[in-house]
Amino acid sequence: MPKGAIGVIKMRMPPFKLHTPNSLEDALEIAKSIQSEGGDFDWIAGGTDLLPNYKWHLNPKDNVISLAKIDVLTKLSPTHIGAMVRIQDLAESGVTHPVLVKSANSIASVLIRRSGTVGGNICLDTRCYWYNQTEDWRETIDWCHKCDCGTGADCRVIPNQNTLCVATYQADLAPVLMCMGAKVHLISAEGKREMPLNDFFELDGMTRNKLIPGELLTHITIPKDISNWSGDYQKLRQRESWDFPEAGVAVLWKKENNKLKELRVATTGLESIPGYHDELASNLIDGWNGKASISLLSEQIRKAVKPVQNTWYSTSYRRKMVRVLTKRACEGLLEV
Amino acid sequence: MPKDKKKEIVGYRQQSGKLSFSRPGSGGKNSFSEPRNEELIPESQGGEKKQPWGGHRHDELITGRVVGKSTSLIDSKWKVTGKAKYGDDIRLSNELIGKIIRSPHHYARILSIDVTKAIELPGVISIATGQDASNKFGVLPVTKDEHAMAVDRVRHIGDLVACVAAEDESTALEAVRLIDVEYEILDSIHDMKDGLNDSNEPIHDRGIYHIGEANIQKRVFQEFGNIESMETNSIASHKKNWFFNGVNHAATEPHAVVADWDPSGRLTLYTPQQVPHYVHRALADVLEIPMHQINVHRTFVGGGFGGKSDPFPHEMCASILARKSGRPVRITFDREEVYWINRGRHPSHIEMNLHADQEGRLCGIQTDALIDGGAFASFGHVTTYYNGVLHTAPYEIGAFHYTGARVWTNKPASGAMRGHGAVNSRCAVEVGIDDISEKLNVDPISFRLANLLPPNSATITGFRVTSIGMRECLERVMAESGWKDKFRKLPLGHGIGIGCGFFISGSGLPIHWDPNKFPHATVHLKIDMDGGVTVHTGAADIGQGSDTVVAQSVAEVLGLPLDMIRIKSRETDTSPVDLGSYSSRVTFMNANAAISAAMEIRNKLLDATSKITGAPLKKLVIGDRRIFRKDDPAVGVSYLEALHKSQEEIGALVASGAYRTPPMGRAHKGAGAGLAPAYSFSAYVAEVKVDIETGQTKVKKVWAAHDCGKALNPLAVKGQIIGSCHMGMGQVLSEEMRYGRTGNLMNTDLLDYKIPSVHEMPEVVPIIVESNDPEGPFGAKEAGEGPLLPILPAVCNAVYDAIGIRCDELPITPDRLYKNIEKKCRKLKITDPLDLPSPRLELSELQLKLEKRANEHKIRDIKRRNESKIEPYHNGALFGLDPTIPPDEIDDSWKVSVLPSEEYLQNPRLAGRAWLHAERRHRGD
Repeated sequence: MPKGAIGVIKMRMPPFKLHTPNSLEDALEIAKSIQSEGGDFDWIAGGTDLLPNYKWHLNPKDNVISLAKIDVLTKLSPTHIGAMVRIQDLAESGVTHPVLVKSANSIASVLIRRSGTVGGNICLDTRCYWYNQTEDWRETIDWCHKCDCGTGADCRVIPNQNTLCVATYQADLAPVLMCMGAKVHLISAEGKREMPLNDFFELDGMTRNKLIPGELLTHITIPKDISNWSGDYQKLRQRESWDFPEAGVAVLWKKENNKLKELRVATTGLESIPGYHDELASNLIDGWNGKASISLLSEQIRKAVKPVQNTWYSTSYRRKMVRVLTKRACEGLLEV
Repeated sequence: MPKDKKKEIVGYRQQSGKLSFSRPGSGGKNSFSEPRNEELIPESQGGEKKQPWGGHRHDELITGRVVGKSTSLIDSKWKVTGKAKYGDDIRLSNELIGKIIRSPHHYARILSIDVTKAIELPGVISIATGQDASNKFGVLPVTKDEHAMAVDRVRHIGDLVACVAAEDESTALEAVRLIDVEYEILDSIHDMKDGLNDSNEPIHDRGIYHIGEANIQKRVFQEFGNIESMETNSIASHKKNWFFNGVNHAATEPHAVVADWDPSGRLTLYTPQQVPHYVHRALADVLEIPMHQINVHRTFVGGGFGGKSDPFPHEMCASILARKSGRPVRITFDREEVYWINRGRHPSHIEMNLHADQEGRLCGIQTDALIDGGAFASFGHVTTYYNGVLHTAPYEIGAFHYTGARVWTNKPASGAMRGHGAVNSRCAVEVGIDDISEKLNVDPISFRLANLLPPNSATITGFRVTSIGMRECLERVMAESGWKDKFRKLPLGHGIGIGCGFFISGSGLPIHWDPNKFPHATVHLKIDMDGGVTVHTGAADIGQGSDTVVAQSVAEVLGLPLDMIRIKSRETDTSPVDLGSYSSRVTFMNANAAISAAMEIRNKLLDATSKITGAPLKKLVIGDRRIFRKDDPAVGVSYLEALHKSQEEIGALVASGAYRTPPMGRAHKGAGAGLAPAYSFSAYVAEVKVDIETGQTKVKKVWAAHDCGKALNPLAVKGQIIGSCHMGMGQVLSEEMRYGRTGNLMNTDLLDYKIPSVHEMPEVVPIIVESNDPEGPFGAKEAGEGPLLPILPAVCNAVYDAIGIRCDELPITPDRLYKNIEKKCRKLKITDPLDLPSPRLELSELQLKLEKRANEHKIRDIKRRNESKIEPYHNGALFGLDPTIPPDEIDDSWKVSVLPSEEYLQNPRLAGRAWLHAERRHRGD
């Protein structure tokens, strides 16, 4: 039986080489050279997600490239959020949309928000009861699909399958940014590309998103008219601090002449990727009927999400609460 | 006093070393006695102070210095400046790092352990396995079932298999990887109900004392009182099957230990232990060396709560590795290992039945508790009793029927945790009383007030209860919380609830010896020319302030400021044996010992003063560093003058004081469990808000009254009350050790083990009730564990008041509560939970009857606590029996029985099924 991540000396924190480039170009260069030598690496931003995972020997790499010294990534304006903007700075900046502020302020604790970054939060690793455990613990279940230590182990949540990872995406910023119509801007040695945040995620707890090896998220842009939008973010968790969302619902809407023009809903904490429920929301605009439409929407969102049993609360409870969270997030819609 | 001199004193406490040494004989910085606080001078010293609860034997020792005054703990500066050295802060030169190889299986036989690859790894110095230490140990001498490392089989994931010491941590971890262990996996048991059945491979074998072939570690059967008629006499009954999930102490500091053998062959073990004496004994057993070859050095303890009170296998491992390698070995746990060693509160199935008769009396309590001990016995023998006997008070009851069983399962061992054994069943009783009061249409506080035992009474199981402040606790929380305007009157989603508690103030029987042979606690004092008092005590300060309370006691008796008292409590080499910090015994027993030692010194000082001044002994009193005539304060000497006079012939003064419990209790099997020289009482009211759509419960405010006899340090008592609320709130709302479908413990870290954060913490209003216990030091009783009990039922009852739902599983996480909300909605055919009805109360005629009885009892109680000659009062008087004689001696229908009848065994309850097995010795094999 294999013990421990293969080829890695078992320390609390596995040893890795830390690279600290001063510019994007240098960072991409380093990434490329590591890749060309067949090496592997992780980007590190705030480190509040990566380092605890490393400490537990969850897929650690030999090289870590820090983005801390790249100033261009920290730019923050109403329409531009650099990947390295600290979550607390985002919340306190005064230029951030209030719904985004609310979701930012709900993340972990102040200490973690001061380290954690916007880019890090969007690219947060997925979480699972059978995965986010120490190495000794995971050995007792013969590992799992997401960190199989070379054994080809099964998924422990849904047994007898090792193709799809169902670890849960538990980050708070993405659903709000999705509703805002944010775009992500990526860069790699091959060049730049951009895409709507809605298209950024890929349904698998291991792949998680469209970033290719060597590529990184530089910033997010937000449409200019966002100030005309209102909305809310509702989050379910046991404690009002520290805990990751067991479910999160963001709702944003735009009214014209006191009439609902556009409505967007996104969810988090329920599947391997955040969910953007475009049609469910927009289909309701035409015959919008206040409370009744909200209940219908809430019920439809509940049906649309398929959580699995790998976080603190039971799946049935999380689904039922999606309905309540959606309803609460829509409460502002009832105001005249 | 000249102004500049005054200046010198200001702030001297903050400037270590700046205080100039006083001229001998000067009586300290101030050669005059300070004017005493008149209000603190008791009658005995010419003062006005009356004791509202009657006089106390320590009254005449009160000098008005420190007792009763809020004092920061004397070791707090070490902690806030980072100077305190906890277990892992001990760094000895040339140390090795030890790591433990743990079982990845729930239950398996060890076929072989191959260490050859590991021992060849450069930097690995020594490796030990179960073969290195085959002697068993355990915290209780009757249930030694642990080894330093597994000898033949591993009994839970995380059980110790081997250990290795290496030059550094990474080498040690690498060596762990290189040790190959071959296992044969055995069928593991996870559901405690399965533990009641016969098994092919019982987790332990107790030889002739084994119960059947089952995994039953301990079983208890007790019947007291009028069992026959409790159901026939009842007009309202409560029945509920509870499940309490296990919880862990989650102390801030994970376990850590350093072992060091000195060149003379003595072992010093540095460990954050609550009970250094037990580990001292266990080490001697396991290492096969005499106790005098071992010095247990208690480091600062970063929180214990019962989780550091067993002798632990890793302490043995460090000692064995250090012996093998000839170098100090340090082992520090990861948080995950803390959960594997556990000793937290038992997961429990408790069936609670209560019966009330037409007079509104509790005519019967029937409890059945099956508790999940995990893989080892630990304190479980006692826990099994405590789940029953600790809810026989504060109420007078007609009958008490208890069946309890503790089973071994393949989980981390449960053990003692703050409120040991009493917490879960107390919650069940108090929720039951709430329910029964509702069925009787009476106010639950009135019901309680009309059913309390009086001071100086005996419970149905024969416990001697001395001081009782229960009534005052209830009255205070009722008044301060605005109970009458809120109870059953708040809108849906808002609720208020009451819960009470009763806890031992020191376990009456020492585990290892006859209390008539050795005392429970001993304190030594030494005073030399400098006037400072060195106190040697074995009591373990685990953050609760035991050093402070001993210092306060000595300072009070000798009239000295706290900074003249130095506590030496760390090493077994220099401390007299003390049973340690568990069962809420330290203040009661150790401070009593300290007071008697200080009295010896006090007498010497008074003698000397009498010789110098010629004043008669009877006229002398002690003030601030000065001894003088009570009637003429100008005639007197400074403390140092008196001290030096008494040192003339003998040099340094030494004194020894001890405390032992008085004889008490009855004679039935198990009568010793739950006996204590005094008991604490508490009553809490909690106000909650329940989010009906999500099931989330938020505690808004808690009014917490605790009878601690006498608050020697009110600041510390309040801290204990608030801390207890926090810990209890964790158990009732969010904390649980959650086992997954594979039997694995899923949340071995502090992100997923949900301790309430500051956001969840309500405002707590601590209310101290002082019942002035006749035997407690200056009247004090415990305040460390009892305050935890009432918060659980108070919250459960408040949740009921808010939404009319009685939970039967703790913690009441939102998903569990929501399930119940849905169930109730279905039952009432309501679609929106926001339409649920709020519980309301229409008082019945019985209410008036209860209020009248409560008033009569209040007069009775005040009379009883002030009487000089107290008539006996046995539980049963409320039911019309002669209070002066134990009821089973006068009434045939009242009985005492500790063995189940054939009839009971026809249809036993859950834990009662443990009695279906015969012990091997009775089977004849």
